[in-house]
Amino acid sequence: MMGWTGQLLNVDLTTGRIWKEPIGEDLLQNYLGGRGLGVRLMRDYYRLDPFAPEIPLLFSVGPLCGTAAPTAARLGVVSRSPLTGTIYDCSAGGRFAWRLKAAGIDVLRIVGRSNSPVFLQIDSSGAKLHPADKLWGQRVGETVAALSEHGSVAAIGPAGENKVLYANIMMGEGNSVGRGGLGAVMGGKMLKAIVVDGDGKVDIADADRFAHARQDVIRLFKASPVIYGDLGIAQYGTPALVDLMGQRRMAPTENFRKTHFADAGNYSGPAIRKEFTPKNHGCYGCPIQCKKSAQDGTPLPEYETVNHFGALNNIKDLRSIVNSNNLCNQLGMDTISAAATLSAWGEVRGEFPRAENIGDLLLQTALRQGDGDLLAEGAQRLSQQLGKPELSMSVKGLELPAYDPRGAYGMALAYCTSNRGGCHLRAYPISHEILRKPVATDRFDFAGKARMIKIAEDCNATIDSLVACKFSFFGASLEEYAELLSATTGLEYTPQKLKEIGERIYLTERFYNLENGFAAEDDLLPKRFFTESGSSGDGIEVAPIDRERFVEEMQKYYRIRGLNEQGGFVDSTFLERQP
Amino acid sequence: MIRQVRKYLQKMATDGSASVDHSLILAKDDCLLWQGSAELLPLGQTLIERLNIISLVVAEPPLPICDVLLGRTSADAAEIIPQDTETRTFLHDIPVVRKDEFSVDNAQSIVDLLGQRKGILVEGVGIVATGSVTVEQAYINYSSVYHALFVKLMLQLLADDQPPSAQEMNLLQPLWAQLGTDIPLHCDDLLAGPLLEKADILKAIDQVGKRTVALKLVDSFFGNISCFVDDSLYISQTGASLDELPGCIDFVPNDNSSTAGITASSELIAHRAIFAKGNLRTILHGHPKFSVVLSLFCRETDCKITDCWKNCDKVRYLNDVPVVAGEVGAGGLARKVPPVIDCGIAVVYGHGVFATGDEDFRQPLSAMIDLENRCRNEFLQAVQARCTNETK
Ligand SMILES: [Zn+2]
Repeated sequence: MMGWTGQLLNVDLTTGRIWKEPIGEDLLQNYLGGRGLGVRLMRDYYRLDPFAPEIPLLFSVGPLCGTAAPTAARLGVVSRSPLTGTIYDCSAGGRFAWRLKAAGIDVLRIVGRSNSPVFLQIDSSGAKLHPADKLWGQRVGETVAALSEHGSVAAIGPAGENKVLYANIMMGEGNSVGRGGLGAVMGGKMLKAIVVDGDGKVDIADADRFAHARQDVIRLFKASPVIYGDLGIAQYGTPALVDLMGQRRMAPTENFRKTHFADAGNYSGPAIRKEFTPKNHGCYGCPIQCKKSAQDGTPLPEYETVNHFGALNNIKDLRSIVNSNNLCNQLGMDTISAAATLSAWGEVRGEFPRAENIGDLLLQTALRQGDGDLLAEGAQRLSQQLGKPELSMSVKGLELPAYDPRGAYGMALAYCTSNRGGCHLRAYPISHEILRKPVATDRFDFAGKARMIKIAEDCNATIDSLVACKFSFFGASLEEYAELLSATTGLEYTPQKLKEIGERIYLTERFYNLENGFAAEDDLLPKRFFTESGSSGDGIEVAPIDRERFVEEMQKYYRIRGLNEQGGFVDSTFLERQP
Repeated sequence: MIRQVRKYLQKMATDGSASVDHSLILAKDDCLLWQGSAELLPLGQTLIERLNIISLVVAEPPLPICDVLLGRTSADAAEIIPQDTETRTFLHDIPVVRKDEFSVDNAQSIVDLLGQRKGILVEGVGIVATGSVTVEQAYINYSSVYHALFVKLMLQLLADDQPPSAQEMNLLQPLWAQLGTDIPLHCDDLLAGPLLEKADILKAIDQVGKRTVALKLVDSFFGNISCFVDDSLYISQTGASLDELPGCIDFVPNDNSSTAGITASSELIAHRAIFAKGNLRTILHGHPKFSVVLSLFCRETDCKITDCWKNCDKVRYLNDVPVVAGEVGAGGLARKVPPVIDCGIAVVYGHGVFATGDEDFRQPLSAMIDLENRCRNEFLQAVQARCTNETK
């Protein structure tokens, strides 16, 4: 078997037992790795409470990890989200995935709960648990510094320890396992960090075929203005989108009351470049290098983060935004959810937090002190508790990122069909509705969007299982990645076959969610988007979304997915029929 | 969605890439929609139902280029390797299905190949192409395959060991008749420069885009256009159709004070580098077929370079027009074109033509037409001479 190691490493924190077991070839070939394999391995556990000791926390690499496939040094982390209650996975890049695979492991499965804080050390010769009492309470940077001599580190910060519902797991190189609070799951297990240092190599079945496919990918990256263009993400990072979203009048502002922020120029790609003369700082082995850091190494914020700590909270000060980003990274919290929760709180109270208070609020949140205890619950629970549930700008409890759905109707649908809640990355319609890749679509039209979303969800489920970065697909397509996969494994994969795998993964997730009580009424945007206009101007009208048309297209989506009118499964034995 | 299906069926007929009697477009929303030739429907329906796609084009070019090309391709060849850059970059290769490998009832071979590639060549049927986002995408993929096959065949007729036979020449007779008449130098009614106001610039870009397509100088999706004013560019967006540019022009300041132009054409880098030479105001870029064919006709005999698109550092000439190599976007063309374009026009190996103007779009358009006409004439004479020599 090439591409996979075929090994799963079990770590039971309750008993301290550590053992390896083989993973069936059938599962590997039909679920690939990353998200897909992780979701499959949750089949017997998805009903568990995210804080139940028995819940597995899975770190799952993919068949391309460890090869020179562009952007493939990634892994998927999978469990059930304490924030959304849905099945949850997050893709993260960095050296950690590479080193884990090099230790001969496709999946690291952590179960149980330790009595006292521990960290897990893994290398090619085995794995061991060590006490971490001295690290407990430390920030991410300190933790990484203390452990990095032993390898590549994934750690939680105080937010994860205190079970902030949107706590991240942070990779030592600054990448985050974000959004759904898997850091809190790790904190619940009293696992402070994992450090890995494998030294194995991944063999490739057909090196010439691999090299050819890799060249094709690089050529497509170079042909893509979004990736390597003068104004693209390799140059400016994702804040390159600030100007574009401003011009398209779909930058969420003041908890989505508005869609245009006059001072966004303060934190645009060019503004950040002028202020910080950033260094490129990307994921390990990635040729794009879209992440940027200041000269002193401080990571600079992504598009979502600048918008949410900026416009969404009515803050125009770039330094404040960079500090908020840095503080979230150090405390181990998701920037989108943290900022969106503050914004919802701001609208409930009738006053958005001031730039100079944000730092204290974030700290209180991570420590669950004062107002922070409520903020740590996320926008949905907070708004409910304060009696204004309609002010949570979230879907299935996940706070919406920085693309206003009134400005892109495919995005509006996709927020709702996403199996992990209001996320932009599952179908990523921004790619065609805004960035014109692979072709442009009319952002103010629902026509055809249901099937587009369905196909893109299937594709992206595969991409998350390979595991590759979504940004690759501003240039390349599944055609080239199917080649890379076939060349690596020696098995024939085509884009069509990969989409079938993606479809299986998507439906499995939806099945879990429905079993856990989600229903059609959860596939819906907050009321605001159907009743209030955005900030029209410059010849662009940002009208409320036509709810009837939205529902009609959602019904189409259900039909195209083979679901019934309630979005449910026609066949209750679906899972049993899957490999 | 049915509007899109109608629109692109019409477009294929107008741009001459598909025979009106043998073209079909299908699209899947929550039900199946289609327009075009009913006799292609059974196959089209079988294919679209079995693929995870949105749209499908099944069509035959009006000239028998598929048949002639297949006649020249060994019967066991699984694919055709395109020569032009665009197709090489985006489609890689074009799989071939022979007549005896499928039937409407058993189209698995076609399904399998369409599961791998965006467009394929099916003997006796024509070109089949898919789209997974829009109807337009299947049309673009169809156009790309058509362009690739056309360029490939023309190059073979011109330069292959096997010169064109009388039968081949006969089959392609309508093409020779077309090439016998020059593309008219229809430029003088375009908006005259200097182009200084935004409204004028947008209008001029719209005009020249529509004109290049109307003259059949280029297929609508392959090209980009820009105008330079006040240290800024107005440039067509990536993937914008040249005959539908209103609303698809990005404003890109040269000082990079805004990145809203992230959606600009992938050739923005090349356009900027050309304008950096000073004094130029307009750039027209397109892929006129015979300029592309002749740019690929290299007479070097003792050359070690194999990846010519990327690695050839020579400046060759089509008459007096320079030809350089370099891949699209950030792939090298932006470095290679500016040093040779002082004469107002340059060709990129296997790709297309960049033409510049110092006031408006009359000058680059007429230069592009002129070059294409010269290439058409040269091509026609050379091919006819090769055929005559063969029959002697
Ligand atoms: Zn071009």
